[in-house]
Amino acid sequence: MDAKLKPLSQSVSIKGDTLFSRRIGLKGARRIAGGLWVLGLFVPALFDNAWISIAAIFAIYGIVALSEDIILGRAGMFDMGHAGYFGIGAYVTAILNVTFGWPIFATIPFAILVSAGVGALLAAPLIRLRGDYLLVATIGFNAIFVLAMRNNLGGITGGSGGITDIGVPFLFGFQLASQSAMFWLDWVVLGIVLVLMRNLDASEFGRTLRYLKQDELASTTLGVDSRMVKTLAFAIGAGLAGLAGTLFAVQISTVSPSSFVFTESVTLFAIVIVGGQGSIPGVLLGTALMFILPQIFRDFAQYRYLIFGFAMIAVMVLRPQGLWPQRSVRA
Amino acid sequence: MGTFIQQVFNGLTVGGIYALIALGYTMVYGVMRLINFAHGDLCILGAFIGLTMLTSTAGSGHPGPALLLLAFVVAIVLVAAAGVVLELVAYRPLRKADRLAAVISALGASLLIENGIMLIWGPEVAVFPSGLLPRITWHAAGASISFVQVMIIVASIFLMAALYLFVNHTRFGTAIRAAAIDQDAARLMGINVNRVIAIVFVIGPTLGAVGGLFIGIYYREAYFTMGWTYGLYAFIAAILGGIGNIPGAMLGGVLLGLFNAFAAGYVSSSWQNAITFALLIAILLVRPTGLLGERVAEKV
Amino acid sequence: MSALLELQGAGISFGGLHAVDDLSFAVEKGHIVALIGPNGAGKTTVFNMITGVYRPTKGKVCFQGQEITGWQPHAIARAGIMRTFQTIRLFPAMSVFENVRAGGHLRAQQYWWQGMLSLPAQRREETALAERTHEILCKLDLDRFANEPATSLPYGVQRRVELARTLAAEPKLVILDEPAAGLNDAESSALNRTIFGIRDSGITVLLVEHDMNVVMNVTDHIVVINFGRKIAEGNAAAIRSNPQVIEAYLGRDENEAENVT
Repeated sequence: MDAKLKPLSQSVSIKGDTLFSRRIGLKGARRIAGGLWVLGLFVPALFDNAWISIAAIFAIYGIVALSEDIILGRAGMFDMGHAGYFGIGAYVTAILNVTFGWPIFATIPFAILVSAGVGALLAAPLIRLRGDYLLVATIGFNAIFVLAMRNNLGGITGGSGGITDIGVPFLFGFQLASQSAMFWLDWVVLGIVLVLMRNLDASEFGRTLRYLKQDELASTTLGVDSRMVKTLAFAIGAGLAGLAGTLFAVQISTVSPSSFVFTESVTLFAIVIVGGQGSIPGVLLGTALMFILPQIFRDFAQYRYLIFGFAMIAVMVLRPQGLWPQRSVRA
Repeated sequence: MGTFIQQVFNGLTVGGIYALIALGYTMVYGVMRLINFAHGDLCILGAFIGLTMLTSTAGSGHPGPALLLLAFVVAIVLVAAAGVVLELVAYRPLRKADRLAAVISALGASLLIENGIMLIWGPEVAVFPSGLLPRITWHAAGASISFVQVMIIVASIFLMAALYLFVNHTRFGTAIRAAAIDQDAARLMGINVNRVIAIVFVIGPTLGAVGGLFIGIYYREAYFTMGWTYGLYAFIAAILGGIGNIPGAMLGGVLLGLFNAFAAGYVSSSWQNAITFALLIAILLVRPTGLLGERVAEKV
Repeated sequence: MSALLELQGAGISFGGLHAVDDLSFAVEKGHIVALIGPNGAGKTTVFNMITGVYRPTKGKVCFQGQEITGWQPHAIARAGIMRTFQTIRLFPAMSVFENVRAGGHLRAQQYWWQGMLSLPAQRREETALAERTHEILCKLDLDRFANEPATSLPYGVQRRVELARTLAAEPKLVILDEPAAGLNDAESSALNRTIFGIRDSGITVLLVEHDMNVVMNVTDHIVVINFGRKIAEGNAAAIRSNPQVIEAYLGRDENEAENVT
């Protein structure tokens, strides 16, 4: 607490470094991820509008799934109401833009703060619920949110039809109206979120989440304020979901309750577990499987959920740790 | 006063159905610590199977109650079989795995069954035939109680009493209770835990199929997403009572049914569900493990 | 002079059963103090009361003259008390290095947003944290296990890792719950030296132990409890000849009694 840790002199070889060099595979994977992200920037040049919009949707849901992974995969809290925070962000942007005439970019901080605030307010009392009970309570939150939107809460949410005609964002005087421009916006935000997530994993706060997940009692006796840390994790995860909500409102130009129903929360939950908890590539892979594959196999649309259901069972039975699990010291 | 009595009976009818379905959730949770998200869909599968039986035997000239009984028997047998297969394929391989893996497997099974129902019976609302049961309605103090309601309430009480006796006064019931407390210890005492789990996956879907068919008969309709709606309600009932606790599921079901009926009777019905979920969260805050659930202290 | 840790009539009951009752003792700064007693005497419960895992139902716990009764475990850790567990509680999916680094949680001053933005100050702290962890690993002869999965190691090593984790927090008082359990003779004498080393670095030690070789050779002061109450207190020689202590142990377990006498 009191004494500052002294910085490391160059000559000392640190065990942490050895540990790190073992992760060359991980570093390599990061380089590949960076490369893929750069390649993604060329999607608008190579594909037609339908595909560009699919890629934009992937970026948006990728952010939501990564934010769910902070709460579920890293901190180990069973949040099955995540579509609610996503929806709050989308509604905040829609209401401020359509009803109050704010520019889209000005709504972003509010979308993040309101979602994060609701996440924290909800989490603070619920955090002491264990496992399945927290899961049920978050399902309840999601259901209440959707019903409130549907019943036109305060006369500003537009009921079942939601809010339409959301404006386009302006950046330095340029109108980001084309599908390509919106895609680049989504893609850049995804890039930023990926960097934030990587940093989180290498920070004390990120590690604290894992301590809590693995042994809460041991963590608290090491000085971890579990209530504070868990509430904060909920707020950060919800805030990032709210950010994605803004992007979603812009992309679709309409927000309605049906986009944020409990089934969406289940899908996000499944993405994290099927992809691999706490694993950035795993979660993105999961997002791609859940949101891109269905677009490719549109002819089989009516079998979509049947196949999903089957795949979820099959993946869990064959690979309970997920498709691309997080690197772990456990062999 | 008339409204009050009316809502009590409406609530008890729905509550009885919730309780029947909730028992399936709670028994599986008690033994396996798993939320069987597919349970609600299994129940509605029962409703559809029963409906198919009723429509295909209608006009055969046999008396209505006999046809109804046949529909129940066929629905129970097929749904119980589906339950056993579900456990074998989707849950048994994951018994030692991370609990979340089983949760996802259960959600997958739910999607599979729900969409299977849609592909077989179609996405439209299916209507139950009328005239199966005597159209008797009793009127008292401004309330009217139908024969269907009385049948559902009586049958629910009978089935719950039977389950209670089975679990508390038979050897097999003892085995179920032992496995719920400690699977390993039960195994060491010579209890075949696999068989206990298989039996739980027969009993739960059996009660669930009855509950599902009751839903169809009471509301005279069935649709493929019904499993989620009613499954979630029954599940909330199980949580309210304290999941894993059999009397808790019964109590939770009846309380939730009554609460819903009064919320619908006195408050706007468009907010009814929101109020139910708010109640759920409030109860969890006051009693984090439900009304009859036990607090488990961690041994250090 | 006031003691570092003081229990004043502390007690806890679970549903009417007095697991610990009216217990008073003090731990002087710089001492090594042992809490002993037959199995089931309530020793671990006392530790759980001190570290906030359980809330005492009566009496007071004071640390550095400040009352900490009923504080949350993390607040008590922050005050400077760290502990190990009788059933070792290492983070299972982490390496030895990562486990010991976790002990430095309270030393880290970075905020979550500094971490997410990877600011220079945060990065400097990360390096310093890694260096400090490495130093502790070397001190406890654990550096060669640094990258091993913590829970795959032999029992004795795991106990050392847990001890290293508490030391990484630079506590004022460490509480060790049966540090010698599961150790062989060589490891157990090495443990004696380690405990002296901890004391010499200015950290006060309170331990529960059954291994009388450890208890009699390292402690400055011994507190004996039975059935949740204190029956004796004093230095090793006094405890060895105390008839009540002998009776308590004879009544329970002959082996342990032989060790005492």
